[in-house]
Amino acid sequence: MGSTLYSYLLLKSLYEPTSAFEELAKSEPGPVAMFFRYSIWLLLLPPCFALIGAANFGWRIGAAEPLMLDMQSLILVSLGYFLVLVFGLFSTALISSWMASTYGADANLGKHVALITIVGEPLAIASIAHLFPDVLVNVLVLIPTMIWSMYLLYKGIPIVLSTPPERGMLMASSLVGWLLVAAVSLLGISMAMWTMGVGPLLGV
Amino acid sequence: MDQSSQNTYHDKVVIRLIQFSIFWAVAAMLAGVYLSAELVWPWIDFGQFWLSFGRLRPLHTNGIIFGFGVSALMATAFYSVQRTSHTPLFLPKLAWFCCWAWQLLVLLGGLSLLAGYTSAKEYAELEWPFDIVIAVIWVCFGVVFFGTIYNRKIKPIYISNWFYGALIIVIAMLHIVNNLAIPVTLGKSYSLYAGAQDAIVQWWYGHNAVGFLLTGGFLGMLYYFLPKHAERPIWSYRLSIVAFWAFVYSYIWAGPHHLHYSSIPEWVQSLGMVMSVILLAPSWATMINGIMTVSTAWEKLRTDPALKFIVLSLAFYGLATFEGPMMSIRSVNVVSHFTDWTIGHVHSGALGWNAMITYGTFYFMVPRLVGRELFSTQLANIHFWLALAGTMLYIMAMWAAGVSQGLLWLSVDQIGELSFSFKDIMASMTPYYVLRLVAGIIFLLGTVLMGYNLFMTLKGQHAVRVTAPPVNPAYGVS
Repeated sequence: MGSTLYSYLLLKSLYEPTSAFEELAKSEPGPVAMFFRYSIWLLLLPPCFALIGAANFGWRIGAAEPLMLDMQSLILVSLGYFLVLVFGLFSTALISSWMASTYGADANLGKHVALITIVGEPLAIASIAHLFPDVLVNVLVLIPTMIWSMYLLYKGIPIVLSTPPERGMLMASSLVGWLLVAAVSLLGISMAMWTMGVGPLLGV
Repeated sequence: MDQSSQNTYHDKVVIRLIQFSIFWAVAAMLAGVYLSAELVWPWIDFGQFWLSFGRLRPLHTNGIIFGFGVSALMATAFYSVQRTSHTPLFLPKLAWFCCWAWQLLVLLGGLSLLAGYTSAKEYAELEWPFDIVIAVIWVCFGVVFFGTIYNRKIKPIYISNWFYGALIIVIAMLHIVNNLAIPVTLGKSYSLYAGAQDAIVQWWYGHNAVGFLLTGGFLGMLYYFLPKHAERPIWSYRLSIVAFWAFVYSYIWAGPHHLHYSSIPEWVQSLGMVMSVILLAPSWATMINGIMTVSTAWEKLRTDPALKFIVLSLAFYGLATFEGPMMSIRSVNVVSHFTDWTIGHVHSGALGWNAMITYGTFYFMVPRLVGRELFSTQLANIHFWLALAGTMLYIMAMWAAGVSQGLLWLSVDQIGELSFSFKDIMASMTPYYVLRLVAGIIFLLGTVLMGYNLFMTLKGQHAVRVTAPPVNPAYGVS
């Protein structure tokens, strides 16, 4: 199928995810090609939206006046955001690939990278909310999107990895466990960094 | 009395305890939902003291922990100790006493909290007369449980009983030591400890109530009911024993992490932090043991809606037991303490772990106790998705609120003054509290559905008579 696979996944994932999962199940993509021809374009969206939004409006966290940072800091933060997303994608794909043997769902790493990208695609698109950098607006947009992404994870694993739905459900739940731990780690690491003086000025 | 009736398990008391547990779950969650609405619309206490946040909040926590949680633990302990010991309950009338006395205690204790009687110690708010009653009932619970184990017909003591045993012994110790007080009147007493000592004893109690009741007790539930559901033995029995002793040893030290940057000695804070981080190892050992046990039993998911709850409870158990040690690290805690992240953390444990595993267990037990199919598998499936959505929405809302608060509480301007007032920060939290209210309503709705489903399953039915099966002589008590 070659290059058309990537554009097919990009589009079909949004409005006909089952077809995208079925198409992916039939192919054997390499992880590097999958990353550079599909995943990376989606991963670039949230940091770009965040950069544009924060540079123009500043982050609103609630009671505060919008938090305006200089361009250099914003570029650094956005770059950090991008790297975290890349790390998140590959670590989740690797863990998914490692877990797969327990659930009878062996597949090459490229398939796992593609699967996790499809699951994350709605979130990447919804990150357009970063253009209006208000924490509440972002929470209101991203939480329903996250629920949709979780649905895609539960739906996609059995199809892409050719495993019975019940086994897929177990594997998806294990991955949800990992993703929750990763999310909460990000919160903890951020707070520890603020305490150490990286980021906003706090009286600690 | 013939031989078979002497060997018949006492399950009626188990059914009654399950019914009470569900009743308290609905009542205490309703109080929780009302409290979360009060944080959005503070005037809905209508000027009534008993409806104020300060009185309703301990009713919510005590109702969940003692009403819902302990009733469920008593029910499952009585159910499983008979089956793992191959003998009926020791002193069944005492078990019935525990059942009814406990419900009366929760009811009257709850009313006393609404009336404003409180010792002002978190999760130990009940005043001294109730504390004495709790100690008496708890000892009776221990007599029934350990008496049954003493009478066992099979030599090994199964791992779930070790956890239930630790629950009974440690909670008795914590409760008695923490509540030592000088009574002044029938409704007022003063703690025997003063100042920083009082704080250390209180959080030694408070954190280990979480540890040995909400974690250890419910792990007892997991270790019995997960293999039963999955019809597989535990993946590694040896790992479960190692995890048990590591858990018991490390949990008891973790309390001081609630008192970071307070007037207790710094080395005590550091000790609490280090032991909290170590605690991750036994916690995750159990999670892995559970996940690996269920991973080979996936076919059961086709026919058993309850197993889904247990699978998901393991994911949230993994989250909460990772989140806790991380939040106990001082450089994280300095920002996260006094924010709603803590409330989110508590509920990822209480909703995601405690409630989910209890729901999964009740869906398993009730049809078996009365010998009929579950009234509606479809309702149980709807309940599963409501519980998952409610929990996720709750913790996400509290994460976002917590991070915002952490930033805002501590923000300083160039001359080092706090940038924002408490009032302004709280006002900016309203949208997150609305989200939390919605999450609470969704979760409560699921619990009500389960109550209806199990009520219809139990309706007009009687407990099935189950007799203890013969024991393989190789394992029998001689």
